[in-house]
Amino acid sequence: MLRAIALLLLALATPLAAAPVDYRLDTDGSRVQYRVAFGTDEIFGVMPVEDAAVALDFAMASNSSVSVTMNAAGATANFPFAAQALKGPSVLDTGTHPDITFSTTAFRASGNDAEVDGLITIRGVTRPITLRGGLFRERGQEPGDRSELLVRLTGAVQRSDFGADGFSDMVGDRVEIEVLARILRDE
Amino acid sequence: MSAANDTDGFGWVSRTIHWAMALGVIGALGFGTYIARMEVNLSNLWMFAAHKTVGITLLALLVLRVVWHLVSRPPEPLPAAPWKSAVARWAHRAFYLLLLAVPLSGWVASSATGIDTVVFGRWTLPAIAPASEAWEEAGFAVHSVLTKLLALLILLHIAGAVTRRDGTLRRMIAGRAA
Ligand code: HEM
Ligand code: HEM
Repeated sequence: MLRAIALLLLALATPLAAAPVDYRLDTDGSRVQYRVAFGTDEIFGVMPVEDAAVALDFAMASNSSVSVTMNAAGATANFPFAAQALKGPSVLDTGTHPDITFSTTAFRASGNDAEVDGLITIRGVTRPITLRGGLFRERGQEPGDRSELLVRLTGAVQRSDFGADGFSDMVGDRVEIEVLARILRDE
Repeated sequence: MSAANDTDGFGWVSRTIHWAMALGVIGALGFGTYIARMEVNLSNLWMFAAHKTVGITLLALLVLRVVWHLVSRPPEPLPAAPWKSAVARWAHRAFYLLLLAVPLSGWVASSATGIDTVVFGRWTLPAIAPASEAWEEAGFAVHSVLTKLLALLILLHIAGAVTRRDGTLRRMIAGRAA
């Protein structure tokens, strides 16, 4: 859907935007989805995005930066026990670590794709991660209008790297993450 | 047939509780071992809830059994060699301890996972341990070890019951030794 209506903007570097432009997050229009194997099934759900700071440099992608705070304590899952297990002491331990944070260390754009290197902190443990995706315009927006953008980034973590290894005999180690964020240019 | 125990035999209340718990405990041992090893997915997740329901029911039956035996004392064991009587007495005491500690350890471990303990598909039991990985691991380790001890004790108990030819088994089935 997004792909059909949108055109990647990072590729459209124009000299008008020579410095990073700040965006703020539309928290209601943004969320992080996760999915992980559960036997022959899957556990999936969403985590609210609490806060994000986005600065995009359309001329020099590498000048761009993103930092995101997700509310792990507000996570949902496709069945109630999974949400409780996810937040429980042996996985995200949200009683002690209510948030998951991510911040970029490098930003690359090539062709229609963007690649973001960053550091993600889960359960108080910080590890490098690479997310891939892009920026899209919303349906009906004029080409060249960058006042509102959609960010889609995907990646994966091995939860054992963060000590979030509870229920490892039942639930997979590799967790797929998809960030969908709606950002609005600071006027 | 009398409900109460007397000096010669077991009333039907004690016998019913004994056999209901025997069935439930042996079932829970097998079923617990199965669920701890199966590949869990959405379609068999209910089995954990079923095991907890059976386990909590057994805990309730234990409380009932203890109260009933305070109200209505069970008969003295039939005469036997002193060492046999001593083994039987200690085995029965160990049963009471294990039948308390096994479900409690399961409940402690389940509470420590941070997941609600729901029995009979509707009642959420209070958590009796903090949500903590250390409690969870220790709780399940204790649950696992104690259930093995319980299984061994049952084997010993059955061996005793079926090898005694003095009416002991009949007394637990029919109420009277002869
Ligand atoms: C007399 C009562 C009970 C008996 C005989 C019993 C027996 C068992 C056995 C044999 C196992 C397998 C242990 C292993 O090999 O690791 C087990 C696992 C388990 N029991 Fe119980 N149990 C009882 C009560 C309870 C109660 C009351 C609860 C919770 C409220 C409970 C929760 C569990 C759970 C969650 C497991 C799975 C652990 C895992 O996945 O490794 N049990 N039980
Ligand atoms: C999980 C299984 C079992 C448990 C926990 C258990 C527990 C007990 C306990 C605690 C007693 C002492 C009387 C009382 O306090 O109620 C007892 C008595 C007895 N049990 Fe079991 N039992 C089990 C299974 C069996 C089985 C399978 C048999 C038969 C093969 C059996 C035969 C007897 C007999 C004959 C007595 C009477 C002993 C006497 O008269 O002193 N039990 N059992």
